[in-house]
Amino acid sequence: MSANVRARRPPSPIPSQPPRSQRFPTLTHSRSDADERRTLASKGYIPGRKPHPSGGVYVTSAEWKLLILITLIAVGIRLFRLSQPNSVVFDEVHFGKFASKYIKSQYFVDVHPPLAKLLITLAGFVFGYDGNFDFKDIGKVYERVPYIAMRLVPAILGVATVPLSYLTLRALDCRATTSVLAALFITFENGLITQSRHILLDSPLIFFTALTVFFWVGFCNEDKQQPFSDHWWLWLTLTGLSLGAVVSCKWVGLFTIATVGFSTVYQLWLLLGDMRVSARLFFRHFMARALCLILVPALFYMFMFWIHFAILSGSGDGDGFMSSEFQHTLRGRGMADTYADVAIGSVVTIRHVNTQGGYLHSHPHNYPTGSQQQQVTLYPHRDSNNDWRILNATTDGSEPQDWATLPLTYVAPGMRIKLRHAATDKALHSHDFRPPVSDVDFQNEVSAYGVPGYSGDMNDDWIFEIYEGSKKDPQSKRRLRTLRTHFRLRHALTGCYLFSHKVKLPDWAYEQQEVTCNKNAVLANSLWYVETADNVLLPPDAAKVNYRRPGFLSKFLELQQVMWTTNAGLTDRHTFDSRPDAWPRLRRGINFWVKDHKQIYLLGNPMVWWLSTAAVFSYIVVRGLLILRAKRGCKDFENTKVVKYDTLCGFLFLGWSLHYFPFFLMSRQLFLHHYFPALYFAILLSCGVFDLVTSTLRPRIRLQIAAVLVIIAIWNFIYLSPLAYGLPWTKAKCQNARWLKTWDFSCNDFYDSYDQYKGIDYTPQPSQIVPTPHGRGAVVVEGPVPIVSVDPNTLGKAEPGHDVFAENPHPDVKSDPAV
Amino acid sequence: MSGVQDVRQRNKGKGINRDASGPSSAVDYDDHNVAYLPSRSYIESFLNTEEASAAVVAILTIIAFFTRFYKINHPDQVVFDEVHFGKFASYYIRREYYFDVHPPLAKLLFGLAGWFVGYDGHFDFENIGDSYTENHVPYVGLRALPAILGSLTVPIVYAIMKECGYSTIIAAFSAIIILFDNAHVAQSRLILLDATLIFFLSLTMYSYVRFKKLRYQEFSPQWWGWLLATGTFMACTWASKVNGILTVVAVGVAVLIDLWDILDYKKGHSMQYFWKHFIARAAGLIALPLVIYLSVFWVHLAILSNTGPGDAFMSPSFQETLRGNELLMKSHEIRYYDTVTIKHKDTQVYLHSHPERYPLKYDDGRISSQGQQVTGYGHEDSNNQWQIIPTKALPETGRGRIVRHEDVIQLLHVNTGTVLMTHDVASPLMATNEEFTTWPKDDHSRYNDTLFHLRLSDAAPGEAWKSKSGHFRLIHVPTKVAMWSHPTQLPDWAFKQQEINGNKNANEKGAVWYVNEIVDSQDPDLKAKLEEVEMKEPKRLNFFKKFGELQLLMLQHNAGLTASHPYASGPINWPFLLSGISFWTQNEGQKQIYLIGNIIGWWASVGGICIYIGILGADLLARRRGLEPIPDDVRNRLWNSTGFFIIVWAVHYFPFYLMSRQLFIHHYLPSHVASALVAGSVLSFVLSETINTPVSAWGPSVKPRPTTYADHGVKAPVMVAVFAIAMFSLYLFISPLTYGTPGYVHSFQSSLRTMLTHLLTVSCRLTGEQVNARRLLSSWTLHFAAKESGNI
Repeated sequence: MSANVRARRPPSPIPSQPPRSQRFPTLTHSRSDADERRTLASKGYIPGRKPHPSGGVYVTSAEWKLLILITLIAVGIRLFRLSQPNSVVFDEVHFGKFASKYIKSQYFVDVHPPLAKLLITLAGFVFGYDGNFDFKDIGKVYERVPYIAMRLVPAILGVATVPLSYLTLRALDCRATTSVLAALFITFENGLITQSRHILLDSPLIFFTALTVFFWVGFCNEDKQQPFSDHWWLWLTLTGLSLGAVVSCKWVGLFTIATVGFSTVYQLWLLLGDMRVSARLFFRHFMARALCLILVPALFYMFMFWIHFAILSGSGDGDGFMSSEFQHTLRGRGMADTYADVAIGSVVTIRHVNTQGGYLHSHPHNYPTGSQQQQVTLYPHRDSNNDWRILNATTDGSEPQDWATLPLTYVAPGMRIKLRHAATDKALHSHDFRPPVSDVDFQNEVSAYGVPGYSGDMNDDWIFEIYEGSKKDPQSKRRLRTLRTHFRLRHALTGCYLFSHKVKLPDWAYEQQEVTCNKNAVLANSLWYVETADNVLLPPDAAKVNYRRPGFLSKFLELQQVMWTTNAGLTDRHTFDSRPDAWPRLRRGINFWVKDHKQIYLLGNPMVWWLSTAAVFSYIVVRGLLILRAKRGCKDFENTKVVKYDTLCGFLFLGWSLHYFPFFLMSRQLFLHHYFPALYFAILLSCGVFDLVTSTLRPRIRLQIAAVLVIIAIWNFIYLSPLAYGLPWTKAKCQNARWLKTWDFSCNDFYDSYDQYKGIDYTPQPSQIVPTPHGRGAVVVEGPVPIVSVDPNTLGKAEPGHDVFAENPHPDVKSDPAV
Repeated sequence: MSGVQDVRQRNKGKGINRDASGPSSAVDYDDHNVAYLPSRSYIESFLNTEEASAAVVAILTIIAFFTRFYKINHPDQVVFDEVHFGKFASYYIRREYYFDVHPPLAKLLFGLAGWFVGYDGHFDFENIGDSYTENHVPYVGLRALPAILGSLTVPIVYAIMKECGYSTIIAAFSAIIILFDNAHVAQSRLILLDATLIFFLSLTMYSYVRFKKLRYQEFSPQWWGWLLATGTFMACTWASKVNGILTVVAVGVAVLIDLWDILDYKKGHSMQYFWKHFIARAAGLIALPLVIYLSVFWVHLAILSNTGPGDAFMSPSFQETLRGNELLMKSHEIRYYDTVTIKHKDTQVYLHSHPERYPLKYDDGRISSQGQQVTGYGHEDSNNQWQIIPTKALPETGRGRIVRHEDVIQLLHVNTGTVLMTHDVASPLMATNEEFTTWPKDDHSRYNDTLFHLRLSDAAPGEAWKSKSGHFRLIHVPTKVAMWSHPTQLPDWAFKQQEINGNKNANEKGAVWYVNEIVDSQDPDLKAKLEEVEMKEPKRLNFFKKFGELQLLMLQHNAGLTASHPYASGPINWPFLLSGISFWTQNEGQKQIYLIGNIIGWWASVGGICIYIGILGADLLARRRGLEPIPDDVRNRLWNSTGFFIIVWAVHYFPFYLMSRQLFIHHYLPSHVASALVAGSVLSFVLSETINTPVSAWGPSVKPRPTTYADHGVKAPVMVAVFAIAMFSLYLFISPLTYGTPGYVHSFQSSLRTMLTHLLTVSCRLTGEQVNARRLLSSWTLHFAAKESGNI
């Protein structure tokens, strides 16, 4: 990078070779017949070259057969006993549940974009799933769920990744042997196998990442040949579409976008330095890429959400995360039109603007602290206890006025009002007591106080202040209008503002949100609006209003924001989570499922895994050396071989690092499977290194080396396969397979021999430590007591990843730490 | 810093001159380019004489001292973090051990200043607003130290710009940005560390610039001198405040770029030459700073030799080196059959048991063993007593009865006659952890489950277990779980006491316990010892061990400062000055000190950085297309000299994005100094087509190049003067918030009143509306602002 800081050399050497032009459209063979070509040649144009295959993928027919064979092997490996286990595994808990909700059209919120979930749902839907299974716990046996069909989606995409890796390496100009090696490495990678056999999102993610890489490599090859040809546009568009697909599976896809983005910027930078490319042509190059690599993915991504919203039209347990306007669009959450005007005597429900805490609420229970008067809280659901009647506080006289006979008076700024709780006939009240939770000087308790017939005291009086109205309703700035006016309520005597924040009251208030009167109120948390208003004085044909229906864009943006804040908030620990530094070493896996003395444990193929990591590090070392050598005047980069492999490995390394290093910045819960996209690049890179190392050898020897590597990989795979498939195993074999102490699959769950697995079809209790028969007295004894040796790693059961949206129906979505 | 050797002169503009004094022959520049000979404006040449420069810097320094010392005795109350740093000065004077996340140099200086003005360290600086005068604290002496250093920063900034080859007027411009900056002023007038940090930072930059300028006279005495000075000041920055480490990184980056340049084959240097440079820098910029940093800590630890509030943070062996420490006084070896009380290190609850049993079924439907409850209890109680039962043969008397590291023991609950055990049953609150309960001591059927390994923290094999100092983990022998607790209460059936359970991860933080007290012993010697309390001599511990422990703790605690603070702000807000910090308020007279910068200066600085990035970006793109809009030497100045400032700015700014700790706007002040330098050089670039060259001293091996002069003409002094007046006006306008003296400020301003009447306060205090007027950005949260009135 330091080269940028001190550019002393001219930016790029102006090529001295005769222009073998590639960058701008020339008259080539494809557009002219033989005669024309001859004429052109006589004029000095380049004679027609051999037509190149689309995307630079040179695949002979024998290779196609080979590819089909490898794919068949992959099918065998990936789909083997896909129906086992017939119970819920790991995060199927979440993704299965989401499929149910799609089918039942119940709105939910998840941190991942919808594409992969939609694909899984589609499979379930086609095979007749009715959405009635609850996917409650890991190990729950499936009943009337076409789970094999649902698992087939990730499995098939996992299979498809194998030929893609072959084609990608071929397009990167590697030898067929190398490409076969890569395809087989990926086929026999235990982690990828395990991940693709269950209803999880990572397999689609990896597939689309691989697809993007393939299309992008193809596009780069086209770009070298002839820009702006039909094929060029095709590959570019396909890249854009698959970029959209990656990022629609999981946000990790943004790293793939970054990879392609960096690559594009580099391409454009080279193009900029090419003085034969006119500014206009450069602009065309730029615009074409911007169109296909920014606009197309963005539209694709938004389209996925459009489908998402279209399917999830009904109310569900995700409602509470969304704004009131959003909720109004959901079936079952819609609200009837309500009077637009609010007058003295209106019965209103009042909502808090900034939090999703809900309605100003009171119920016949008292505070156990402070004044011990009736509680006032925020309550998220509609309820008759949310109804308050607005009364005029300025009219003196102790008996309650008969508001129904008075003339209609609209509520205007500066008016002094009382709010009377309709159900209990008590007034909204504040006084110099500290609130139960926010026990600080500048906060006052808010309670409901009074007895029927008693008009209350001065502490019931609130000054109504308008903060803002709606632009479309000019009236709303001058007087209180339902839904349109955001207002504050100032306590007449103490000057504090009615306030609420993300603080839950204890059990005695049913964990509803605290309402206080705050002297230093944060503006956003002291704003309220009226959601419904009713008044007998208003004629039935008076103006009515309702929530504005948000358009697709505002719904889309709101959901993105909710997903983002929640994703960042996923910070609590999981038993099997891990930090990024542990991934390349394969220090630890994830316990997916334990049942019936069998176990599924996500663990990679150690040989493939460590080989890929070694390749990455050797690339770093060699590249570092090359840079140093170049600085000391060695002319390595004039060697075409160095340039070729540097470009190839550099691209793959870029992909690896962009899919790996950003995780270090994330403080959220991370798992081994987050490394898989990076692993894909690392495996390709290791094969690229293989291609380089064996480039001087004879093909036969190269083939032999590859065969040995593949055999070791297969042996590794077989050795650990019971963990990948959840097959019967023995304790002894399991102990042998624990190559690293940190691999914490629990060997004690397996039987001692295979015979015991026969005919067993029940769920035994978890293993217990058997009390030992030979106890001794707690007195002075001779010699150390023999201690029963027990395996130290009888670790607990599998548990699914955390799903905040499921456990916490009203979380701090728009978190605003209020004072 | 400019690579001069192979740079060709491409100046098309005016202002190139052959320096009469400098040797000017044999230089490869094109003669026809020097068509326009000196046309340096009169004012420019006048200002750049040494006398004029000295006068300018003298004026700036005097104003700086005036602004920093004005009303330094006000308020006579504890302000903001004086709560901490004043307290630390007291501790130095009382020689009591304290713990803080920041390295000690700046605080040591405060201690020194306090000692110098005769402060005896009696005051505790408990709360913001505590009165100094009532407590007779010579606080002006303490505040004078940062005020002096803060004032001296201004001439140093000027000198950096001068040394980098900028004209007097440009250097003054950069200095003025710092001079009239309310944030720098407010920060330097109080007992805070930032003024020291910034002072040493600017000295580091100055020395590094001087060092770089001598690059053609490598290994000369001056060269070595400035190299070592850079290292020294860098170490001082680092030792002043924890974010001083960024200065080390910034210099490191600059040095690496420099070395990378030397390595370049085209420069024609040998590898031997390169290694010579490498080793010199390693010595001056790694070894020397390390030694200085360590010696600061050595002084720190040497001074703080008595026990104090920081003891509890440290390990037992560290605590025993402090005179009068409780561990030192009350720590005894524990023997078998001793009755002890055991406390949880993190939450300070006792290991407790009582005859009540776990309910058979919990609310969530899980089943318990219905064994006797084992809980954590916060108060002294006879149910906290446990007797240590051996599992091996013991001699009748003597040292063989001492409990040692890695022994297997049983713990007998004295009141109920049951022994502690755990087993593979889920604990009441956490399904993943094991339940702790007890078992009758005479029932041997669960003997194995009652065995625990005693694992002392950082102990050698066979080390004796001591009360107070012997932190230990209790590892269950059969299932390997560790006795662990967390601050979650059990439900009513356990009287809301704290849960204790077995954690599978024995290295978890909450698994550390210690013996609080030996209640009863069968050993007569020990019994006697428990009675008497004698004064023990502190033990000694290797300095490096102490240093290592302290350093580690500082890092951990620094990362742990994540609690929210009402005035904390994110890094993105800082360059734009979106929010400040309320340091101090007083209702009487409605006074407030609010840390906020001078918007004009800050926005000029951030604007300078944007323009700089824009210029270089455009230049890179243009060069890619074969155009060269900026002459080479000007471009080199931008890349190398301004580039250094940019590195300092970026290194002191961007790492904050990665920190999840509490962040405040004053963390940006070091970067703000660097950005002021960038703003100056960008102004120079905008105003003049040429630059002052050469700035580096010629060496024997280098061919001299012609001298050129920058010419800013008359417009530069005019612009800078207007800028200075604007800065000054805004500074005055905000100054009531900076000095916290609205009532008195008008006398200071009276000379300017005619000019600024409509802006300034004339009344005795700021009215709400006047406070509102000073709220230049809506994001500033000032107290005593007028409420937007709603008519009542």
